[in-house]
Amino acid sequence: MKSLTLDRASFWYPATASPALRDLSLEVAQGEVVALVGALGAGASTLLLVAADLAPRVTGGRLTGAVTRRDRSGIVLPTPWTQLSGMAFTVWDEVAFGPANLGWPPHEIARQVDRALEQLELVSLASRDPATLSGGELQRVIIAAILAMDPGLVLFDEPAAELDAEGARTLWRLIRLLAREGKAVLLATSALDALADVADRIVWLEDGAVRAVGTPDLLADVALCDAGLGTSVATVWRAGGLPQPYPLTVAHALQRWR
Amino acid sequence: MSRLHPFTLLAIAGSLPALAWILPAPAGGAWAAAVALVLTLTPGARPGFTSVFRTAVLTAAPFWLFLLLLHDVPTTVAIGLRITTMVASFVWLVATLEPARLVEAMVAAGWSASIAYLLAATLSAVPVLKARARRIVEAQRCRGLSPRGGIAARLRALRALALPLVLSALHEVDERALALETRGLVPGIRRTPLAPPPDPALEQATRWALLLGCLAALVWRFVLPRLT
Repeated sequence: MKSLTLDRASFWYPATASPALRDLSLEVAQGEVVALVGALGAGASTLLLVAADLAPRVTGGRLTGAVTRRDRSGIVLPTPWTQLSGMAFTVWDEVAFGPANLGWPPHEIARQVDRALEQLELVSLASRDPATLSGGELQRVIIAAILAMDPGLVLFDEPAAELDAEGARTLWRLIRLLAREGKAVLLATSALDALADVADRIVWLEDGAVRAVGTPDLLADVALCDAGLGTSVATVWRAGGLPQPYPLTVAHALQRWR
Repeated sequence: MSRLHPFTLLAIAGSLPALAWILPAPAGGAWAAAVALVLTLTPGARPGFTSVFRTAVLTAAPFWLFLLLLHDVPTTVAIGLRITTMVASFVWLVATLEPARLVEAMVAAGWSASIAYLLAATLSAVPVLKARARRIVEAQRCRGLSPRGGIAARLRALRALALPLVLSALHEVDERALALETRGLVPGIRRTPLAPPPDPALEQATRWALLLGCLAALVWRFVLPRLT
């Protein structure tokens, strides 16, 4: 079942002549993790805003084409501190802010908040003041806050940007778990090495349009490596002048050596 | 004081200026200003709000100066006391009232969550702007601009502070709108109150008493003289 469908969608920000998205078609199914990769300005963040129904509704601008959302979406923005409510004394209250806005009964809010805090390993921080958290902790709090709203379509914009290595590993495991629970996940990230294990499909964006779509093997593709969007292993392999096809992961590289 | 129900804090902060303007000057204004200034000395200010009394006095002081330039001494005292009451009440309210508690109280009372958030955001604007101004001053210092020195240097520093402060505040409005949408705060929602502040009967009675007191003062001051 498709959770999100974009059909020839183009989007212009206010007072701009050239579109940030151009004739973009994409489907994301329930239980699927789709990763958007591309250079800065390729349109990944804009695509997430459109998918979240924030562009043009909140940002302004103009959208053409069709966007169909089957599920309620939740988006994690790249700067977690801007997503804080500013109305919570504790991490628990902060995570509960969204579910409370949905008008759920208190017992359901408590259940979802406790579950999200556990998933993000935040239970020990539940009574802390959000203003005293580190960047990584804050990012996990915001991810928990969005997940506590139980969205069917989860949109992540650089979700690991503020996380340390362990925090990022927890996040990637969580994303796979979300997909197993039947949620559709659309993810924009520059943490390309993680995508081999996390994403079901890779969408390469260039100048607001889809340049290529494929399995994570795409991240070892010559064209992607030339664009600086290959995995570390593929990039090193290429830099070493070793023969194509480039390996995607360390395991693939070892297989090639043997 | 900060543990009082948000509506009680609002009622106190609203009724003092009202009484200052309704009651005969200068005694009414003096009485209301004294109460408001005493309130600024009571403990219970939110974290980050220090010297509430000093802030109130320093904010009211320029008004006295301008009044003295424009009016005679009795008029200056009469209006100055009323303005001091307004300023002190507002400063005390901002320093004491937790925006999050106001939202909870308003939502529990059936107000729209968006309107509650709008009011609460106004109260939180002061510390947010203060923190941002501090960051901008630090950033400008790193770039060699000193906020000290003569009047010309201070004016240059003020311009370097004001422009980024205003522009970033405007930019923040866009960011906040987007962020709050992502957290489900959209027009027309029926938010579930998470922890509505307790509203004891005594406080409810106090609020009614303050309202009735203001109405009685209005009648005594303006209606009764016309009847007699």
